[in-house]
Amino acid sequence: MAAVLPIHYPRSLLRAFNVLPIEVWGPPQIDAGLGAAHLQAYVCSIVRNALAFLLSGGLEVTDLIVVPHACDSLQGLGSILIDFIQPRQDVLPLYLPRGNGERHIGYLIDELRAMYERLSKTTQRAPGDDELMASIQREETADEFLAELHQQRGKLTTYDFYRLIRAREYLPAEGFIELAQDILKQQGASRTAGIPIVFSGIVPEPMSLLQSITEAGGEVVADDLACCGRRLYPPGTSKDPFRRMAERLLGVPPDPTLGSPISARLEHLLGMVKKGEAKGVVFYSVKFCEPELFDLPMLRDGLQEAGVPSLTIEVDLSDPLSHQARTRIEAFLEMIA
Amino acid sequence: MSMIGSLQYHFNVNLMGRALLRINRLRNELQSRSPSPREHLGPPLKIAPRMKELVARHWLQGRYANLHDKVAWVTSGAPVELLKALDYYVLYPENHAAICGTARMALEISAEAEKAGYSSDICSYARTDFGTVLSGKTPVGRLPKPDLLLACTNICQTVLAWYRVLAEHFRVPLIIIDTPFVYHEQAPEHALEFVKKQLEDAVPVAEQVAGRSLDMNTFMETSRLSQLASELWMQVMDRNKHTPAPISVIDQFIHMAPVVEMRGDAHTVDFYAALLEEIDARIAQGISAVRNERKRLLWDNLPIWYRLRYLGETLGAHGIALVASTYTNAWGELAQFIDPSRPLESMARVYTYPILNRGTGHKLSTMVDMIQKYQLDGVILHSDRSCKPYSIGQMDQRDRLLREHDMPALLLEADHNDPRAFSQEQVSRHLAAFIEMLEA
Repeated sequence: MAAVLPIHYPRSLLRAFNVLPIEVWGPPQIDAGLGAAHLQAYVCSIVRNALAFLLSGGLEVTDLIVVPHACDSLQGLGSILIDFIQPRQDVLPLYLPRGNGERHIGYLIDELRAMYERLSKTTQRAPGDDELMASIQREETADEFLAELHQQRGKLTTYDFYRLIRAREYLPAEGFIELAQDILKQQGASRTAGIPIVFSGIVPEPMSLLQSITEAGGEVVADDLACCGRRLYPPGTSKDPFRRMAERLLGVPPDPTLGSPISARLEHLLGMVKKGEAKGVVFYSVKFCEPELFDLPMLRDGLQEAGVPSLTIEVDLSDPLSHQARTRIEAFLEMIA
Repeated sequence: MSMIGSLQYHFNVNLMGRALLRINRLRNELQSRSPSPREHLGPPLKIAPRMKELVARHWLQGRYANLHDKVAWVTSGAPVELLKALDYYVLYPENHAAICGTARMALEISAEAEKAGYSSDICSYARTDFGTVLSGKTPVGRLPKPDLLLACTNICQTVLAWYRVLAEHFRVPLIIIDTPFVYHEQAPEHALEFVKKQLEDAVPVAEQVAGRSLDMNTFMETSRLSQLASELWMQVMDRNKHTPAPISVIDQFIHMAPVVEMRGDAHTVDFYAALLEEIDARIAQGISAVRNERKRLLWDNLPIWYRLRYLGETLGAHGIALVASTYTNAWGELAQFIDPSRPLESMARVYTYPILNRGTGHKLSTMVDMIQKYQLDGVILHSDRSCKPYSIGQMDQRDRLLREHDMPALLLEADHNDPRAFSQEQVSRHLAAFIEMLEA
């Protein structure tokens, strides 16, 4: 098993080595004290909590730690793990290029090949192209189901929907496919038709937040969350497994950590608002998350110009959902209803 | 550029501006001849008025640059030689923000950005820059609008977020040179190749905006001048191997401005040659940065721009000199990689390997090497709220310095440009305890 930090990484490559990725988004509401010996208080709670979780033995079941490079804080975490903390597990950093042109794809292909070599050394296995392609196709199928679930999210309540799709963070593709098939087979819409909103940010934690939205009469109809909607990887076309993985990883919806222009992200948000007939957008940021914080003013201005109200809520994953945050969500929903 | 605009530029910059700046320098030089009022610190550098003139001229040119030149805004770790060779006026928003910090204007200017919705948790340089862009407030008169933006991720990912905002605001082309972070001792070959290809791709974009083609001879000459300036700067810092140290890190922070923002210019080389000469003269005459140097320290991370004097004087009063800094060192240590005969190829290496693009263990090794090289007695690690890539790792670095190298080390919490993150009381208390430990 591999513990994998946010955001983008090649699931199919890990699975081809028979390594099951388990994603670590925080986790929320744990004692972050252990991380405080290594990280300053101005580092975001996703990174601080992940380190605290590791140091408290929470990742003992894993054999490998993959640290994709998404921001300065994850870069720093990867670096101190390698240089100072040196956990029992191998630490594999992965640098994702900031762009999606041919140069960037070319670089990522090489980076994935280098990762292949590292995995080969760690696992003593060397899967061939056929095995890689089989693994890629399995993940692509799972991702197709994931995209379908996003389309048919109305079958579930907001909370249940996110619980379901976030199972992709730890279930093997085949398990997720089975689960998705079951849900998609269900007939009829069970949802409460609430006030439609689009949700943007990194991770919807604590998950009780989503229940609060439903209780306040809201319903998330689309998202631009780093752990969810921003990871709707398109199906690949190349016959070369490494190119196919690289193209998929960089073919995602606009993502600030991959260098997408703010205007592209705004356009994407407006597209979701239009398609879902949403009445507003909630930006749910993790404190100290620079990639998100830099984009917010321009995104909010752009939405306002288009007549779409928005709300910003900032959280620390170590804290429970505050009463103030609930009240602000309620007030926002009341306002846009 | 229009004929009238060009005439206006030459009148304001080359005629009036130069004359006024020269008069100002002469006045400053006369003032600096009077005995130094600084009780614990050595006499100021004689070259300081010339440095002020050089920097002021640069910002004066900037004020009128839109009338005369194509303007590029770039990050401090950007491959500026390419733009210099295409005759761009190059502006560094980070340097501008530092000027706002030393002029104690950063807070007021940042407030303009915060009013527009930018969080106080983002980098204070970026906030200062956005504040100026939105309000026009600046201590340098006026900033020229960019025709091109160039962000190189070798110092942080913050610049990527920052320049994406600038690109939307100004609606001008943005070149991103993405330099994969070097986690281990060497960057993988494919990473260096990726950087080189991006540099090659940047050339036609920069040429198109500049409206001219890159002349390889000019490019090589700019690279040569850049290398010369960096080498001279390294030699200036190396002179602090001498005890007592002839130039403090506080003065290095101030005098590094030309090698950052005017790298590739002939007058920058002349300036550092003159600075080196003065440093050698100070050594020969027994002039030191701190009058009664008893302890020598390393500074890690960016300066606290709005408290430079306080730090220098507080430490100086105890005979403690800040002798070396990982930050100022960064603009000299890579000179060896520049190969003016192969500018693009060597730039890929130079701009991939700055200390900020390398692992936390590498930074510790650099600090340990500097401790030996400069015979230091302790380290102050500025835990800079606004600079995560420089600051993450410092807690382990301090721990290793203490445990494995028996080196007193202090983690000082602050921010390079936001005085709200600087607690005078707390810093005084921590400094006092650290000084006591050094003197024990």
